[in-house]
Amino acid sequence: MGALPTAQPARVPYRSKFWRTLWTNAIVAPKTTLGFMRIDFILGEIFIIPLTQMVFFVFVVAFSYAGSPSSVIASEIAFVAIGNAVATVAYSSIFSVCQTTDSEKQLGTMEHLLASPANRTALYFGRGFLPILISVASVAMGLAYAVLFFGVTISGASVPFVAVSVVLTAFSMVGFGLLLGGVALYLRTSIILGNIFLFIGLLLSGVNFPLSSLPYPVQVVSYGLPLTWGVAAIRSAIDGASLAGMELLWLGLALSGLAAYGLSIALWGTFEHRAKSTGSIARF
Amino acid sequence: MATVSVPRAHWSGRRSTLASIRLAVLTFLADPQWLIPSMIAPIVFGFVSFELFLGTPDLVVYVILGAGMMSMWGQTLYGSGWATGQDRNIGTLEPTLSAPTPYVFVVLGRILWNVVSGLIGIVLVFVVVVVATGTVPSIDNPVAFVVLFVFTMLTLAAVGTVFAAAYVYTRYAGFVQNVGEFAFYIGTGCMFPIVILPFWTNPIALLFPPSWALDALRYASIPGYVGFSWGLGWDIVGGVATTAIYLLIAGIVFKRVERHVLEVGNLQEY
Repeated sequence: MGALPTAQPARVPYRSKFWRTLWTNAIVAPKTTLGFMRIDFILGEIFIIPLTQMVFFVFVVAFSYAGSPSSVIASEIAFVAIGNAVATVAYSSIFSVCQTTDSEKQLGTMEHLLASPANRTALYFGRGFLPILISVASVAMGLAYAVLFFGVTISGASVPFVAVSVVLTAFSMVGFGLLLGGVALYLRTSIILGNIFLFIGLLLSGVNFPLSSLPYPVQVVSYGLPLTWGVAAIRSAIDGASLAGMELLWLGLALSGLAAYGLSIALWGTFEHRAKSTGSIARF
Repeated sequence: MATVSVPRAHWSGRRSTLASIRLAVLTFLADPQWLIPSMIAPIVFGFVSFELFLGTPDLVVYVILGAGMMSMWGQTLYGSGWATGQDRNIGTLEPTLSAPTPYVFVVLGRILWNVVSGLIGIVLVFVVVVVATGTVPSIDNPVAFVVLFVFTMLTLAAVGTVFAAAYVYTRYAGFVQNVGEFAFYIGTGCMFPIVILPFWTNPIALLFPPSWALDALRYASIPGYVGFSWGLGWDIVGGVATTAIYLLIAGIVFKRVERHVLEVGNLQEY
């Protein structure tokens, strides 16, 4: 008797769902690749680091401008306080996001990730979800400290513009963090890269002194960093700029962020291709 | 009945510390990239302060001393955290603590090297600032400067040793390193004299030996410096006294830690 023909199940190609991947990564990443960000770290990033960083640079300014008229000192302190409040965005958006690559390698999940059919854009954006929230919270807290302790005034009319600028800055900076994470895929560790870009903004992005103090070629580089646009946008919003005055800065901020997201996706794609062809890149 | 004489294990604190320093140097040379994370911040802060201090007298000395101090602080904070954390991660903490050599000497050697390696940050800032300003800072009393500088490094090592002792017990070393970094820079007056801070913070700052040592170092190197009113002499006395207290605390804590973890047996838990 011949074998009965068995019905072959229809082969349905797996299609990853964009929103499901995005949401799953947003929920799971804090427990896995962002697992090092315990609640004490998060609270420290939001409440302690903005205050201590601002106090440090405010006292540097107060000391270096000792003997100047009090109005000059007050305006310099306000300048530095706002700049550093915004710069604290880097802790979560750059340092933490950048380290997700290391986490994947350390946990041994990089190979599985590279073999997964999950939509890459959704995957990376999902991982940036928590850092975006923490970034927004730390900058908002920093600005609150600036108002409470360092004589910065934010008028009611400026608040919506400041809020939009803060959210855009957080989005763009997380994109930049993902870009660095992409570069870190090719490196032994992301910590060095993360440390460099965690603090380089203090020097290049108009955080502590105007960009005009820098040599022209360095200024050009500065405008490639989302933080430069973020600091400029938030300063302008606090100064009471009109919607027309903000549009260009928001555009610059959004473009620098989108460019960072685009480059990060392209970079991950390139390194993924290389990883699959050499089989060695995912090793730690 | 014949008895077997077991040679008594003996150790020397000096030899143990030197061996630990040697190992730390070799580990560093094998993978020097780990110096970078704790040096980036001080160097960037040094350049930012250089820009902010433009036009201030004694700018060069302030920036170089400040950035150097921060570099060594950074290395101390990270180094003391890693001094124990690394052993725990790679599984050598238990064998190290079981050895006849007291663990404090092993840790002290690592921390001393970490403080010394922070000098690389000073050299970098020094070169850039001197090239940018075109002036080499002159020190009135170079011998006193060098002696006090070494003393400042020892005060940092003392703090690092106490931190390392505490880190054996805690999982929050990383939190203290990352979140507390700026607080230590402010509290010990790395970039500005502590006397410009609100008065209520001064007693807290004086709990840390480097605060005394750095004030003394500035008195010795910056003409007309206005620091603590008691001056250079009492700064040195305060620095020596607090350092001795820190080393005493470190010795006691390490002894207790060693006994406790051997009794409880939970050393490897992380």
